[in-house]
Amino acid sequence: MSRVVFTIAVAAGTLLVWEAVTRSGALPGFLLPAPEAVAGRLASTLRDGSLIHHTLVTLSEVLAGLAIGLLAGTSLGYLLAKSRRAERLLSPYIVASQAIPVVAIAPLLIIWLGPGHLSKVLISALIVFFPILISTIAGIRSVPQDLRDLMRSLRASRGQALVLLEIPAAAPFLLGGLKIGSTLAVIGAVVGEFVGADEGLGFLVNLGRGLYDTALVFVALLMLVAIALSLYSLAALLERRVLAWRETEKSP
Amino acid sequence: MRRYRLRLWISLLLLLSACTSPAALGEPDHIRLPMGYLPSVQYAPFYMADARGYFADEGLELEFDYAFETDGVALVGAKELPFSLASGEQVLLARQQGLPVVYVLGWWQDFPVAIASLKTSHIDEPADLQGRSIGIPLLGGASYIGYAALMAANGLPVDAANLEVIGFTQTEALRSGQVDAAVVYANNEPIVLEAEGVPVNLLRVADYVTLASNGLITNEATLREDPDLVRRMIRATLRGLRDTLEDPDAAYDVSRKYVEGLSGANEAVQRKVLEESLRFWQTDRPGFTRPEAWENMQQVMIDSGLLPAPQDLGQAYTNEFIP
Repeated sequence: MSRVVFTIAVAAGTLLVWEAVTRSGALPGFLLPAPEAVAGRLASTLRDGSLIHHTLVTLSEVLAGLAIGLLAGTSLGYLLAKSRRAERLLSPYIVASQAIPVVAIAPLLIIWLGPGHLSKVLISALIVFFPILISTIAGIRSVPQDLRDLMRSLRASRGQALVLLEIPAAAPFLLGGLKIGSTLAVIGAVVGEFVGADEGLGFLVNLGRGLYDTALVFVALLMLVAIALSLYSLAALLERRVLAWRETEKSP
Repeated sequence: MRRYRLRLWISLLLLLSACTSPAALGEPDHIRLPMGYLPSVQYAPFYMADARGYFADEGLELEFDYAFETDGVALVGAKELPFSLASGEQVLLARQQGLPVVYVLGWWQDFPVAIASLKTSHIDEPADLQGRSIGIPLLGGASYIGYAALMAANGLPVDAANLEVIGFTQTEALRSGQVDAAVVYANNEPIVLEAEGVPVNLLRVADYVTLASNGLITNEATLREDPDLVRRMIRATLRGLRDTLEDPDAAYDVSRKYVEGLSGANEAVQRKVLEESLRFWQTDRPGFTRPEAWENMQQVMIDSGLLPAPQDLGQAYTNEFIP
C-alpha cells in the first residue's frame, strides 16, 4: 500500500513542479509545454485515432523484435553455454558486433531491407539479442554440477535435463534478461522509426519536432514510456509467477 | 600623504580595470551559429566571411554549430541564440507554434529541392510521376514542401504518386530500384549519382515555383533591442557571399580549412556541389527575399495541411537590413 502511495506522490510531485515551471514563464511553451497542453494533445490524438494507430505500429514492431531477439539469443546462448569450443569460435564476433552502434547501422538496414516494418523489427531484435544471450549463458552455466550428476545418474535424456533442470535453474537469469530486453526492444524500434518511417511513435516524435509541436513529442514519449513500463511489468509478473517455487522453498 | 597615495592607487586600479574590460579591449560579440547540417562546402560564404575577417571587421566572432535545423530555430525562438540558418518553411512552422523568429537575409534565391530519377525510369516531366513510387526522407520539412509545391504547380494532387519514407538513403534507394524517383537536393545527390556514372533526370522545384529558401533568421527581441547586431551580421555574411560568387575557387580552398574530405577522391564531386549551389545564390540583390516566394510557400503549406490558416507574412520576414 505504501508503495502505491509513494508512486502516486512522486507522480503528483512531478506534475506540480512541471506546472510551476511552465507557469513561471521560465521556459516558453515550445520548449516545455504545460501539462494541460500535453493532456489536450493526448486527447485530440486519441480522438482522431492517430495515437492508437502509431502506438499499435510500434508495439507490433517491439513484440516481433523481442520475440526474434529472444529466440536467437536463447538458442545461441544455449549453444555457447554447452560448447566451450563454439564459444571460443563465435564470441569474438558476437562481442565485436555489439561494438557497432545500432544507430550507425540502422540506415544501412533500411537500405537493405526497405523502409517497411521488417527493418525496424530487425533493429529491435538486434538490440535485444545480446543481453538475452549473455543471461542465457550465465543461466545455463549456473546449474550446479551435482544436480547435473544427479540427472545423469537417473539416466535423464538431454531433453529431460533441459526441461526439468536447466530451464528452471536458468529461469532467474533468463527472466532478468527478458526484463532488460523488453525495454531495449522499444528503443530499437524507435531508432528504426527515426531513420525512416511514416508511422509509429518514433515517426510521431520526428513529426512533432519538425512542426515545433513539443506537446506532440511529449505525447509520443509518454506512450513509449507506457509501452516499456507495461512490458517490463509483464516480465516482472512472469518472473514472480515462474519463480514462485523459489519463494515457497525458501519459506520455512 | 598616505591618503594621497591611496587615492592614486585606487585611480590606477580603476584605470587598469577600465582598460581591460571587454568593451575597452574591443572584444568581439561571440555568435554561435546553428548551420542545420554537417560541415559542407555549401557553407562556403560563411567560411569566406570568417577566413577573410569580415565577421571580425564587424566585431563578431563566429562559432559554427552543426546542429539540426529545427534545434537552431528553437534556440533562436527561445532567445538563447541571436541567429540561425533556416529554410523559409521552418520560419512559418515555428511562428505557427509561437516562436518569434524572423527571416532577415535570403541566401538561397531558389528552393534547392528536386525529384531525381534514373534516366531508365523515363520520368521526364511532373505528369510522369503519377502512380510511381517516390522516396522521401520524411513526411515534413523542405523535402515534403518541395514535393507538394511541385505537384501543386503542375495541377497534380499530392497523392498522385506513392510516397515512401526512406530516410536519407535516396541515392541507394534509387540505384537499387527500391523507388522510381526520390526527393533530393539538386546540389547534392544527383551530383553524387552522376559522378558514379548513373545518369539521372531531375525535376527542379525552382523551375516551376518560387519558394522562400535558406537564409538567416533572428528573433523579434534581437531585432528590437540590437538591430545593429543584425546589420553587422548581415553585412559580413553578404561580403562572404559576394566573394564566393566572384571567386568560387578561392571559396573552395578556404572551405578546406572548415570541412574535412574536400581534397583527394572527393574533390571533383565536392567542387560540383559548390558549382551547383552557386546557381541558387546568384541574384542582382544578394540577401533580398522575394515576397511572392513567401506567399507561394504559405499557400503550399496551407494546401498540404501544414498550416491551418494564413499568417501575417510581414512579421515572418524583412528586407529592412538588405542594402
